Amino acid sequence: MKTKQTIAIIGASGNMGSAIAKSLSKGNYRLLLYTENTDKVQPVIKEIHAVNPSADVEAMPCSMHASWEADIIIVAVPYNAEKNIAEKIKEVANQKIVISIANPLNNTFNGLVTTPDTSAAEELQQLLPHAKVIKAFNTTFAQDFASPVIDGKKVDAFIAGNDEEALETVAALVNTIGFNPVIAGDLSVSRTLENMQLLLIQLGLKYNYNWHAGWKILHN
Amino acid sequence: MYEVYFEHFNKKVPLTEAEQSLIKSRLAVKKIRKKQYLLQEGDICKTIAFVEKGLLRSYTVDENGGEHIMQFAVEGWFISDLYSFLTGEPATYNIEAVEDSELVMISKSAYDELLTKCAKYEKFSRILITGAYIALQKRINSLMSFTLEERYETFMKQYPEIAQRVPQHMIASYIGLTPETLSRVRKRIATNK
Repeated sequence: MKTKQTIAIIGASGNMGSAIAKSLSKGNYRLLLYTENTDKVQPVIKEIHAVNPSADVEAMPCSMHASWEADIIIVAVPYNAEKNIAEKIKEVANQKIVISIANPLNNTFNGLVTTPDTSAAEELQQLLPHAKVIKAFNTTFAQDFASPVIDGKKVDAFIAGNDEEALETVAALVNTIGFNPVIAGDLSVSRTLENMQLLLIQLGLKYNYNWHAGWKILHN
Repeated sequence: MYEVYFEHFNKKVPLTEAEQSLIKSRLAVKKIRKKQYLLQEGDICKTIAFVEKGLLRSYTVDENGGEHIMQFAVEGWFISDLYSFLTGEPATYNIEAVEDSELVMISKSAYDELLTKCAKYEKFSRILITGAYIALQKRINSLMSFTLEERYETFMKQYPEIAQRVPQHMIASYIGLTPETLSRVRKRIATNK
């Protein structure tokens, strides 16, 4: 695609948000970065420009305006902050791709706070009924973005959602970052994906993966 | 965000509240800044954009790099590469914002869905496509059979507001002249008056 797409990253100074921003700045995208504390976005932009001076990236003072200008919105905030963001961007998120990256972990990392019949992504879809919510980047750690190849293998990045075209667009985005996109199914598959990351975190703590680990399906 | 769009819609085809909220749920709003592209040649055009605020242009580029403006769109107008939108073939137009703009957009899939789900949207869409066809025929006529002076004067009379908001070289490109020829045409008109 030649036409540059505009991506708003809400929560762009966090671990995940900044990792996503840095990776996407390599692609044909225009990035609008928003975070509650505006001062925290500038270092991310500086870091991006140090590597790629021509990167099209800009800080935005308001999540609604960033989303209004965007074609794709990445909600890179913790699960418990999603509701607040959804209220702010509701009107301008209509019909746009909204990427949910959150894992609804409890405080002790040994369970999810959502009930088994739903997921963070499905809850976000309810809050934004006319947006195309896609689950992505929840099974990858922030560290994986800088080096998406682990042990010689490209880490799989699972995607779930209800809109075919939106899934393809997000798969292309995942590819730009350097992960291997795997379209896993409709949005309800997010329940499994969010539990997969819970397991990976628990195993990472147990076996000391040092937050640089990922999922890979081996097949012929 | 949608005010001009629905004002325009209701004027052509009055909507009930339920119809309006169904249509609204299928639309996207987008801001675009001056000199940014909504579409570039070669991509498939997947949206029709309505200008809520601002000004855009569509144009083609010839093999010598010359730009030919096909259409301007100001508040209350639609802009798209309808050929690409309707056939799914790659676009031959570029669509660029001439001013900072606010758009109300419909995707191809939402457009197709509304055509079958909502009779009033179907009617509105017919009015829109008919209007685009009439404008196109008028424009071809003007380019093929008008004198240079007539082309310029017709443009100024038809679109005085656009003439105020875009640079001369874009007017020249729209009516199929080089900027130098346009400047001579304007002089001739001025001395004949």
